[in-house]
Amino acid sequence: MSELNNSPLAIQTCGLTKHFDSLVAVDGIDLSIKKGELFSLLGPNGAGKTTTITMLCCLLKPTAGTASVMGHDISEEPFKVKELIGVAPQETTISERLNSWENLNLIGRVHGIGSKELRKRSEELLETVGLVERAKDRVGKFSGGMKRRLNLIMALVHDPEVLFLDEPTLGLDPQSRRAIWDYIAELKGKKTILLTTHYLEEADVLSDRVGIMDDGKIVALGTPDELKESISDRGTMIISAENLSDKVTEGLRTRGMHVEVDKATSKLKVSGKDLNFREVVDYLHSQDVTIHSASLEQPTLEDVFLRITGKELRE
Amino acid sequence: MRALEFCKRNLKETYRDPLSLGFLLGFPLVFMLLFGLAIGGETTPEYNIGVVDQDQTEISQAFVDEALAEAFEVTPYDDPLLALEDLKVGDLRAYITIPQGFGEQVSQKRRGGEGNIALDITYDESDIMVAQQVISIVDTITRSFAGIEVSVTLNTSPIHIESKITYMDFIAPGIIVFGILILIPTSARMMVRDKEKGFLGRLLTTPTRPWEFISGYSLCLFAVGIAQIIIFMVVAYFMGLDIVGSAGLVFLVFVLTALCCIGIGMIISSLTKTENQADPLSWIIAMPLAILSGCWFSLEMMPSWFQSIAYAFPFAHTIEASRSILIRGTGLEAVSSDFLFLVIWTVLVFLAGIILFRRSMVS
Repeated sequence: MSELNNSPLAIQTCGLTKHFDSLVAVDGIDLSIKKGELFSLLGPNGAGKTTTITMLCCLLKPTAGTASVMGHDISEEPFKVKELIGVAPQETTISERLNSWENLNLIGRVHGIGSKELRKRSEELLETVGLVERAKDRVGKFSGGMKRRLNLIMALVHDPEVLFLDEPTLGLDPQSRRAIWDYIAELKGKKTILLTTHYLEEADVLSDRVGIMDDGKIVALGTPDELKESISDRGTMIISAENLSDKVTEGLRTRGMHVEVDKATSKLKVSGKDLNFREVVDYLHSQDVTIHSASLEQPTLEDVFLRITGKELRE
Repeated sequence: MRALEFCKRNLKETYRDPLSLGFLLGFPLVFMLLFGLAIGGETTPEYNIGVVDQDQTEISQAFVDEALAEAFEVTPYDDPLLALEDLKVGDLRAYITIPQGFGEQVSQKRRGGEGNIALDITYDESDIMVAQQVISIVDTITRSFAGIEVSVTLNTSPIHIESKITYMDFIAPGIIVFGILILIPTSARMMVRDKEKGFLGRLLTTPTRPWEFISGYSLCLFAVGIAQIIIFMVVAYFMGLDIVGSAGLVFLVFVLTALCCIGIGMIISSLTKTENQADPLSWIIAMPLAILSGCWFSLEMMPSWFQSIAYAFPFAHTIEASRSILIRGTGLEAVSSDFLFLVIWTVLVFLAGIILFRRSMVS
């Protein structure tokens, strides 16, 4: 992280805004993504993530504000930007009657890569995502997961400096998703990557920084740890206990805690601001409650997300 | 050479799809065969035509025997009233009166002189379709008969005149132009499909320029168009088309027309988002263009204001130029204005295509 702090910016947006008629899809976002950083944009459907990426790829004119990629303004020098970026769109877009080689070849050639180098690079990429054996089959016959993997490496074949990955693992089985995330982890630090995803646990593990988008705005920004820390004042305990009475739970509530009781499993979920583990356990002991287990839950990005947007990520 | 790479991809996408390839190449074949068989190939429709030869010269007789008899079932009359009687009872579809001085006029024309050639045609008004066809054919035959360059010595024996106009000769340019016009929906479909499926969107994130996209699609469609034209011409040839002039020149005229259609298809695809929008729009545009080209109904029969509209579009010029080359054997100089018109249209259509494409690149 330390070397990232000093590196120049790869992507910068300044009040970037997009209106579709009366709908404000992106509402004046300011982002600075450093070279080599892996930045994840999280947000519910319709938050404006894809619209943001589409503008950064020069396919959509901003209504207001500016943005630049590697120092090139997206409105002024779109072709300069396009030379430097690789894009894996959310929808799988491949040429169905070509095989994997030919698909990669097309993208590489339009970026002006020589055929020898292109062959070498395609081979590496196909190897990495496990498509070598089917490389000569028409991609129209591929499974959804295979198409998705090809869709991803087509963004990489010309060795771009900046990668835009829009939901790279959407709709994949866990195994394929795993393979793709492993590969993205390999790229980390070598490329600047802006990705959007629904899978918070993976964003948590991979991202240098996370931006949470809601209603076209960036509502939270920071490293995954920073974000989790920001809500750590509110702890949650899960307690498995016997002899729970209404009096006990009431007593916890009067101490300003939120209490949920699951009678069937006799589990207690206690949460509250400045929750003190010791204090809760002591109180329960003092009320003759038998505690089988008690644990403090670590906040996840999911909690952060829920707390900040008030929405579940997956509807 | 991004355009070439892109064209290569488009060609692969096309020839690896047996259904679309079958349509693109099988369609002109079936189309031409159907038309050819429907009109009976070399045989012309059996129209009974009366001829009253008041000129009674060698040339007028040759005109009747060599030219008219090729196209019609001809019955000679001495008395116009008898011909009129037969027309009334339906034995004749029309009768032609060759006025005195016809032979003189034709030989003057052949020597490069000025002047009009007049023929009187009497026909049944209620029989509009046939009457129009008969008039068109007579007109074509007469022009061909009078317009061919014959050396002076041959004047006395006009038997050598090679004006064997078959019905196929008359109708082939129209069928071919109609076939070429179908490149409009074909082109629009090819481009809009990539747009609809998002593949174009992906390529738009590469540094490919608008003209490179247009060229990539056009080159591929151009190859398809050339294959189609070759099929059209070969089938027409075997069904009795006589190519009097240069086959290469006619081919060039058709190729230019195909380019123009591809350009129009590109414009349509830029204005639409899905195949479901592009398809009907293409046909709504292609059908009037077909009528305006005169490929179904001869433009000479239409009101003058209609003709002026028709000649503002390139396709009437294609038919005019190709008919002139095919039937009368004229060279490039004679059709240069039609040719120029086609070139200008093609250039304009492609410019508009690029401008519209550029506009649709960033929404």
